[in-house]
Amino acid sequence: MIIRRRPHLLWLLVPFVLYLGALPFANRVEPVVLGLPFLFVWLLAATLLTPVAVWLTYRGDRKRREGRV
Amino acid sequence: MNTAVATSVFGVFMVGTVVLGLLAVKGRGGQGGLAEWSVGGRSLGPVFIWVLMAGEGYTSFSYLGAAGWGYNFGAPVLYVVAYMSCGYAVGYVVGPLLWEYARRHGLVSISDMVAHRFGRPWLGAGIAVLVTVFLLPYIQLQITGMGVVVSTISYGAISLNWAYFIGFAVTTGFVVVSGLRGSAWVSVLKDVLVIGTLAFLAVYVPLHYFDGYGDFLDRVVSEKRDWLTLPGHGGSPYGEAWFATTSFLNALTVVIFPTTVAGYLGARDADALRRNAIWLPAYNVLLFVPMLLGLAALFVVPGLTGAGSNLALFELVVDSLPAWAVGVIGVAAALSSIVPMAVFMLVIGTMWGSSVLSLLPRWRSPARQKLASQGVVVAAGALALVLTYATPNTLVRLSLISYEGMAQLVPMLLLGLVWRRLTLAGAVSGLVVGVAVVCGLVFTDRDPVWGMNAGIVALGVNLAVALVVSGVGPGDRDPRPDGEVLARDPAGTEEEGGAVSGAGPEAGRR
Repeated sequence: MIIRRRPHLLWLLVPFVLYLGALPFANRVEPVVLGLPFLFVWLLAATLLTPVAVWLTYRGDRKRREGRV
Repeated sequence: MNTAVATSVFGVFMVGTVVLGLLAVKGRGGQGGLAEWSVGGRSLGPVFIWVLMAGEGYTSFSYLGAAGWGYNFGAPVLYVVAYMSCGYAVGYVVGPLLWEYARRHGLVSISDMVAHRFGRPWLGAGIAVLVTVFLLPYIQLQITGMGVVVSTISYGAISLNWAYFIGFAVTTGFVVVSGLRGSAWVSVLKDVLVIGTLAFLAVYVPLHYFDGYGDFLDRVVSEKRDWLTLPGHGGSPYGEAWFATTSFLNALTVVIFPTTVAGYLGARDADALRRNAIWLPAYNVLLFVPMLLGLAALFVVPGLTGAGSNLALFELVVDSLPAWAVGVIGVAAALSSIVPMAVFMLVIGTMWGSSVLSLLPRWRSPARQKLASQGVVVAAGALALVLTYATPNTLVRLSLISYEGMAQLVPMLLLGLVWRRLTLAGAVSGLVVGVAVVCGLVFTDRDPVWGMNAGIVALGVNLAVALVVSGVGPGDRDPRPDGEVLARDPAGTEEEGGAVSGAGPEAGRR
């Protein structure tokens, strides 16, 4: 029920999908990107995208708050 | 010469650390009681909370264990990055929830919260004792981690035993007086040094030992392929299933880990915690550095084994840098032990003061609670120190169950705070069975079990038992209304127009 009121909380699942769900696909050396093996590139990207996902959640909460006032 | 320079740099910074920690409470002397000391008077702003929580997460493991795992196995160590990022995301919801609950009822620790939720002071005392057993090994890990670093960067001049004692003395020196606020201030110094030194090493090591990054990475990819995917090098049991289950379990556990909760409760408002959840994951980029340096060490100092591999990073540092730089990097690593150690000790003291000793009528006044907590801080640190000297292996063995054991508190605390029908009998039997399963699997060397983290198997059993016992067992006859017992997300309650209402901070306690 909390998801129905705050659907933007679903953004918080993004890191779980990136770090855990995508492992079978990301667990490889090739393709090498800028010299880095793919698994590292993937996890690095996930580390940079997690703040974005949490920010989207935060933005959702803020909008909801402003909409109420 | 080298010894004198590195040791002096180290000594100056250690004195500075204690002074900084004590300055944090200048002008606030004596006021505020337990909440001022334990959770910084619930007044820390977003920046301090960020620094403090990043400081807690980045422990001596990051310098030693992370590089060691990187050296021995490779990719599996990145689970640390995965669980911290996922955990910070979970903390976006859980942090404000716990913060609001604790503020509304004047609570200062997780043992306190459990006691309030189930209306049983003895339960809080039991949880405090259990959590202490799980935390003591962490204090020892920080003490020994710091000992190894200090002994190495002093080129052997400071013996391990003295180094252990220095770690204990510096930490106790400020945390007893200044509590969470002092830890946050010391974290500022720590973060500046950690970020600076790791950024420097990330650039310097590939240039010094290789022909730059291109050459370093080319050689890693062509010669050390085993290390670059899961399950990693050398018949490591840490495959994809282990990585995923461990990261998931730890992401749930880190948000109720008593030291994380201390950070949550220290926040000035719930919004500071939400903003924090956005920015904390970015700190994890730094965790890639020790792991990469561990891989670099494979080429430079091959053949490290056992505990020696934990020094992979420092072998490079001592080998390639002048003494003053070795000293500064040593200080950064030492502070990475000191800050978490301070918060571990603080949390143990807080739990005993608020949940155990408070069962005795004569220790119930606020001033005495704080005094008792401070006494327990010294006692807990001293106990860990003595055990480090006397029976180092006891706590090492115990540390194997620490995190997975702590995870077993998730149903009682998190589910309990949002779901009224979880009964006391259900929560307690789940916890007991969960901890028993963890011990059973870990002490018979069955972790990972079926390729998965043993703690998640235990958590599954724990949850099932808790639900079944709550369902078929007798319900709790607790007359208090839901609003008094359950937690509410402040963002959720704002919508219902009911700002936090009713009981003042200290009402309804006990």
